[in-house]
Amino acid sequence: MANRWLGKVWQRIRATSRPDQLNRDLDDELAFHLAQRTAKNRAAGMNAAAAGYAAQRQLGNITDVKERTREVLILTSLESLWRDFTYALRALRKKPGFTIVAIATLALGIGASTAIFSVIENVLIEPFPYPGADRFMTVEIHDANNVDAAGRAEYSSPEFLDYIEKNHVFDLAIADASEDVLYQVGGGMERLHGILCTPNTFEFFGLPALYGRVSEPADYEPGAPPTFILGYKAWKSHFGGDPSIIGETFILNGTARTLIGIMPRRFGWGSGDVFLPVKPTRAEQAYVAGEFPPVWYLMGHLKPGVTVNQAQADLSVIANQLAKIYPKSYPPRFVVKIVSATDMVVGNFRTTLTLTLGAVALLLLISCANLANLMLARATTREKEFAVRSALGASRWRLVRQLLVESLILSVCGGAIGVGIAALGLNSIVALIPPITIPAETEISLNFPVLAFALTVAMFTPMIFGLVPALRAARNDLERPLRDSGKGTSSGTVGQGRFRDAVIVCEVALSFTLLVGAGLLMRSFVALRGVSLGLRADHVLVTRLPLPSERYQTAAQLVSFYRPLLTRLKSLPGVVDVAESSALPPYGGFPSDVEVSGAVHAEKWSALFQLCSERFFSVLHIQLRDGRFFDETEVADARKVAVINETFAQRYFDRVNPIGRRIRVSDLANFPDKVDDPWFEVVGVVSDVRNKGLQEPVAPEVWLPYTLTGSGQRGVLVRTANDPMSLMDSLRREVWAVDRSVALSYTGTMENYIHLQSYAGPQFGFVLMTIFAIVGLALVSIGVYSVVAYATARRTHEIGIRMALGATRTDALKLVLGMGLRVISVGVAIGLIASLALSRVLASQLWQTSAYDPLTICGVAILLLAIGVAACVVPARRATSIEPTLALRHE
Amino acid sequence: MTDKKDDLLQGTLDLLILKSLARGPMHGYGVAEWIHESSQDVLRVEEGALYPALHRLELRGLLSAEWGVSDNNRRAKFYALTTAGKKQLMQEAEYWHRMSGAIARILQTA
Repeated sequence: MANRWLGKVWQRIRATSRPDQLNRDLDDELAFHLAQRTAKNRAAGMNAAAAGYAAQRQLGNITDVKERTREVLILTSLESLWRDFTYALRALRKKPGFTIVAIATLALGIGASTAIFSVIENVLIEPFPYPGADRFMTVEIHDANNVDAAGRAEYSSPEFLDYIEKNHVFDLAIADASEDVLYQVGGGMERLHGILCTPNTFEFFGLPALYGRVSEPADYEPGAPPTFILGYKAWKSHFGGDPSIIGETFILNGTARTLIGIMPRRFGWGSGDVFLPVKPTRAEQAYVAGEFPPVWYLMGHLKPGVTVNQAQADLSVIANQLAKIYPKSYPPRFVVKIVSATDMVVGNFRTTLTLTLGAVALLLLISCANLANLMLARATTREKEFAVRSALGASRWRLVRQLLVESLILSVCGGAIGVGIAALGLNSIVALIPPITIPAETEISLNFPVLAFALTVAMFTPMIFGLVPALRAARNDLERPLRDSGKGTSSGTVGQGRFRDAVIVCEVALSFTLLVGAGLLMRSFVALRGVSLGLRADHVLVTRLPLPSERYQTAAQLVSFYRPLLTRLKSLPGVVDVAESSALPPYGGFPSDVEVSGAVHAEKWSALFQLCSERFFSVLHIQLRDGRFFDETEVADARKVAVINETFAQRYFDRVNPIGRRIRVSDLANFPDKVDDPWFEVVGVVSDVRNKGLQEPVAPEVWLPYTLTGSGQRGVLVRTANDPMSLMDSLRREVWAVDRSVALSYTGTMENYIHLQSYAGPQFGFVLMTIFAIVGLALVSIGVYSVVAYATARRTHEIGIRMALGATRTDALKLVLGMGLRVISVGVAIGLIASLALSRVLASQLWQTSAYDPLTICGVAILLLAIGVAACVVPARRATSIEPTLALRHE
Repeated sequence: MTDKKDDLLQGTLDLLILKSLARGPMHGYGVAEWIHESSQDVLRVEEGALYPALHRLELRGLLSAEWGVSDNNRRAKFYALTTAGKKQLMQEAEYWHRMSGAIARILQTA
C-alpha cells in the first residue's frame, strides 16, 4: 500500500521535473486516439489516407489540443498550490499561539547558535588568513623542572640567527621584534607600534600588499634606502586612508623613511602599525645604543612532511649548542617545545570557545526538540481533521503537500527572523570581545556554512514532525479517530505522551547544564573582581611616555624631562598628585636576582623591581606597613634607598626587621645605563600589591628611585579630583611643552587598564555563557508551557468529570502542577548528573570557585523548578476556572 | 455569455466523462466513443476538449491514470474513477437531475 503511494508521489515529482516525458506521453496518448479513429474509419470503408485525414479533422488541430492540455496542467498545479498556501495561512492564523511560539523557537535557535558559532569558527578555526598558517611554529625553551610554566620564546639576534641558519626543519623562518616608533605629525609626536621584520617576512606570510609593494631582499641590505610598510588600521587612523601617499617620506624615530606599501586589512601580524625591514647581525651590542637590545620572536614554517617531534629534536640540538655559548639564557636542564602559532595566540581562549561550541550544539538541539514537541502536540489535535478529509477523498499526497506548505511557511518566517537575530547578535558579541584576546587578523562575520547548516536543521524539523498527521492518515486507520468524541484522541497514545515527556526532560537537563555553567563562570568572575589589588585605582590617569632614544640615554637626561613634567602636572587644576613609574599594576616591572646582606641561602633569590618617584605610593594609596617612603631629596639625589613589599620582607628577611638592612638588585648592573654597585638600604615596607596579574600570588617586589638610571620605559600617573579623562588634553599639552618629540601611548584611566588586563577575558566568557543560558531558559519555558498547556486542554473533559464527581479546584490545580513538576523534576535530576560530569571540563576556567559549587547547583535547580511552576500557572488557572458542566459538554 | 456557456459545457463534459468511467477504466478514445454511443448519437464530444478535460480531472484527483495495453495490443493511457471521483459523480449527477427536473417543470407551465 505504502509502496504504491510512494510510487505515485515519486512519479509526480519526476513528472514536474521532466517535461519531455510529459510531452512524449501526451503525444503517445493522442497518437493512440488517432490510430483507433483511423482504424474505425477504414473499417467503415474509407481508404487509408482519407481515414487518417478524417481522424485528424475530428480531433481538431493537434497542436492546439496539446497546448490546451499543457495549459491545464500548469494552471491546475498552481491553483491547487495556491489553495494549499491560503489554507495553510488560515490554519496558522487560527492558532496564533502555536504559530508565534513555533516561529519564535525556530528564530531563537537559529539566530543564537549561528551568531555564536560564527564567532567561534572565525576565531578558533581560522584566525589567520596566511596560506600555510597551520604549519607556522614558534620555538620555546622550557625549564625541564617546570615544563608547564611559560617558556622563553624571545631570543637575542645571534641566537635566533643560529636557529634560522642551522635548522633542517623549516623551509622559511623569520623573526620579529617590537619597537616604539615615534612619528612626528602636526604639533607633536604620535607613538606607533613598530615591528622589525627580518628578510623573507612578507614571503613567509604570503599576502600581497593592498597598495604598492612588500619589502624585497634589496630593502633589507644595510646600505639600502630606508623604507617601511604601513599596516591597514594605522593607515586608516593616522594617515587618512589615502592611497596616494605611497612613495612619500615620513620621519619615523628621527629617520626619513619612504612608504613603499600598505597591507590589506587581514594582515595584522603582531598588531603592527608599521613594518621596518631589518637585517640583523651577530654583533652583540645593543641595537640602538642606550636602549635594551630588541628581543626577537622566532617563527618558522615546517617543511612538508616534517613532524613536530622531528622539529623538536632538530632544534634541541641547536639549543644545546647555544646553551654552551650563552649559559645564562638557558636553564641547566631544558626542553625545547615547538608550538603552533594558532595555539600560541588563541591559547587560553581555546577552552572557552570549545565549551561554547558545545553549548551552541545544545541550544540548537533544545530548539529542535521544542519545535518537534509543538508540532507533535498539534498533530494529535489534527488527527481527526485529516481522518475526515481522507474519508472525503483527499489523496494522501494532497494532505502531505498541504502540511509541507504549512511547515514551509513556519520555516521561512522563522528562518528569516533567525537570520536577523544572527546578524544583530553577531554585532553585539563582537562589540563585547575584549580587544587583546583575539588576533588582530580575525574578521568576524556571519558564517554562511554555519547559517546554512542551522537553517537546514531547524527547517527540516518542522517538516518532518509536521508530516505525522498525514502519515497516520495514510495508515488507513480512519475509524478510531472518527469514532472518538472530543477533538481527537485524548492525549495521543501513551507512547506519544511518553515521547513528549522525554523530550521535555532532555530539554530541562540540557538547560540545567547551561545554567550551571553560566552560574559557575559568574561566581568565578565575581571572585576575580573581589581580589584586592592592594591599591586604589579610581580617579587615576596613566600614560606611557616612550622617549626618543638618541637624546635620552642617561639618568640625567631622563630626569631633565620628568622633573619639570611632574612639577607642571602637579600644578594643573584638578590634579591631586602625580608620580612617575616604570611599570603599572597588576604587573610589576623588571625581574632581578636579589641578595640580602648577611643572609646565606642555597637557592636563587629573585624579585621584581620598579623605578618610581616618591609620590607613587600616595597616588595609588598603597599602604605603608613599616618605616617610610623615600622622600623628595633622596629621589633628587638618586640615593640608593629601597622600599620593599610584605612578601619580600617575609620571604627574605624572615623574622629580622628589614628597615636599615641592605639589599642588592643585581640586574641593575646589566642595564644599558648601568648602576654600579647596586646595593640599597631598605627604608620602608608596604603592603602587597598584585604584581603578577590577579590570579598569581604576589611576588617579592622592590621600589627604587627613578633617577638611578636612564634605561627602561617610563610613564606617569596622575590622581585627579574629578573624571581623569577630562585632563587628557592638558596632559598631552604639558608633555609636549617639555619636549615636542615625546609621544604618549597607552593613555587612559588606571581602572580601564586593569580591566583590559585582567577582567575583560573572563568577563567575556561569562557574558557569553549567560546569553546562552538565558536563551536556553527561554526555550525551555516555552517548551514546558506549550506541552503542559496542551496536555491540560486535552484533559479538560476529564477534569470536568472529576470536578462533577466532587473534586475541588485545588485538586484540579494539583493535577496540572503535578504534570509540569513531574517532568521538570526528572529533568533537573538528570541535568544534575550531567552537569556534575561536565563540570570538570569547566574547572580550568574557574578561579576560586569549585566546579561542584553547591550554591550554584541548588540555585539553578530552584530556578528551573520555579520556571516550571510559572509555566504551569496559566494552564492551571484555566483548569481551575473550568465550569464542570461546560467541560463535560466540551468536545 | 460565451463564458457561461463554456463553463456549462465544461461542467457537462466533466460529468459525462465521470459517468463513462463509472463502469470501469477506459482510455480517452473509449470515453469519446462511449458517450457517442450511449447518447444514441445525439452528443458528439469535441475531441479536442476531451483530453484537456481528462488531464484536469486527473490533476484534481477525481481520476487516476495508468498506462496499459488496449484490446488491440497498443500502448494507451487508461483513466479510472477515484473515490473522490465517484463522490463527485454522485453529487454532480444529483445536481443535474434536480436542475433539469426544475427546468422541465418550468417549461411545462404554459
